[in-house]
Amino acid sequence: MIKLQNVTKFYPSKLGNQYIFKNVSFEIPSGHNIAILGSNGAGKSTLFKMLAGSEYPNKGEIITDLHLSWPVALATGIHPQMSGAENARFIGMINGVADLDQYVRRVRQFAELGPKFDLPVKTYSSGMRPRLAFACSIGIDFDVYLIDEVTSVGDANFRKKTREALTQKSKNANVIMVSHEMDELRHFCDSAIVLHQGELTFYNDLEQGIAHYQAL
Amino acid sequence: MTTVLKRNNWAIWRDVIFALFVREIRTGFNDKFGLAWAVVQPLSFIFMMSYIRGRMDGGSTHTVPTFEFMLYGLLLVQLFLGTLSGCSSCLKKNKALFAFKQVQPISSVIASSCFNFLIKIAVFILIFVIMYFLKMDFEIKRPLILFLNVIALWIIAVSLGLISSLAQCYIPEVSKVQSIITRPLFFISGVFFSMQDIPKEYWPYLDWNPVLHAIELSRHAAYSTYSIEAVSEFYLFSFSLVSLFFSLCIYHVSWKQAISR
Repeated sequence: MIKLQNVTKFYPSKLGNQYIFKNVSFEIPSGHNIAILGSNGAGKSTLFKMLAGSEYPNKGEIITDLHLSWPVALATGIHPQMSGAENARFIGMINGVADLDQYVRRVRQFAELGPKFDLPVKTYSSGMRPRLAFACSIGIDFDVYLIDEVTSVGDANFRKKTREALTQKSKNANVIMVSHEMDELRHFCDSAIVLHQGELTFYNDLEQGIAHYQAL
Repeated sequence: MTTVLKRNNWAIWRDVIFALFVREIRTGFNDKFGLAWAVVQPLSFIFMMSYIRGRMDGGSTHTVPTFEFMLYGLLLVQLFLGTLSGCSSCLKKNKALFAFKQVQPISSVIASSCFNFLIKIAVFILIFVIMYFLKMDFEIKRPLILFLNVIALWIIAVSLGLISSLAQCYIPEVSKVQSIITRPLFFISGVFFSMQDIPKEYWPYLDWNPVLHAIELSRHAAYSTYSIEAVSEFYLFSFSLVSLFFSLCIYHVSWKQAISR
């Protein structure tokens, strides 16, 4: 269970503070694979960052007893000067992986970057970085994976692979996902949260959530 | 599957700082010169400067051999400037890493400052080894005092760097102001001169600068005949304690918002 208590979040700007959330209290139930639906700029990524502890709300707090992944977006925390292997090792070390060599081997196998895995990330194409980021996160056991549109960037082969891996994981872990592709969401998620004008609404049934979101 | 260790907070801190430290080493020297550059660059500068000054005063500056006179000045001011700029840019540079909730800003500051410190200490020792093999005379009368001065200066650099780093998250212009302020530091910190070269009535204009104190005190620690009439240990140490205290206070209040902007 993840609990938002009186969360207020804004970003300062030239036009004054841009409020994303104003005094929101909400409970994200556990045991669901949740799709987060919302238009561009509704605050999906911000919500993700706050859930993962990458950013903090201006007021209020977020309480959870779960082990959440970092928000696996396109290339979070990947250093362009270091090679894929070094990046994987770094991420493993920070997350407290017991056997780093084995972990790096598994990431290498999953990311399928071939010899490029040992070259600096700056030489990667834009499709390869998310592959590395995703492989790093799927290699660690979390209670909840926060997936931010990563699954929709790879080629057909890799997408199939991520699907299999995530389906495998969702047996004993949950996924909270942001994507604008409804097929993707239908595949992984069973319920939805619609984010609209700083309000969160939980729908136990995904289809109901999608219908409501598209009616907005 | 992957086993993730259940770690207590201290273990997480230790692992994160170690990982950042390794990353710092890995990305700090990735051109062909590598680590050698950290030694060659100050060394060549010291040789050049001490040659020029040695011509003027015949190899001995206020009872200290000119080479060592320059050595302390240059290495200490570089330690200060290097640590300060490393720390003050490290929040911005590592911003992407704060996506991992285990990585707190202070860990990256600690990693970057320790990295700078160890580099400079290694250069220091290496230069003394080189001097030994060149059969140059040198003495360090009170090495512990010398070490203490270096530590105090380093703490000042880390504290000011931390403050500036946090300030930069709110006001990006701070980095520009900082570069203007630190530029003359090279010339007013007694790298090329001693306070004894300066008439007494002008001392107050230079005496506020803790880097100057650290440099003069270090020369005195190596050669006790070197006069330190103009500087005081008390000022250096209290400056470092006060700045450390304030920087940690500011950090404690503001770090969560600083990385959430």
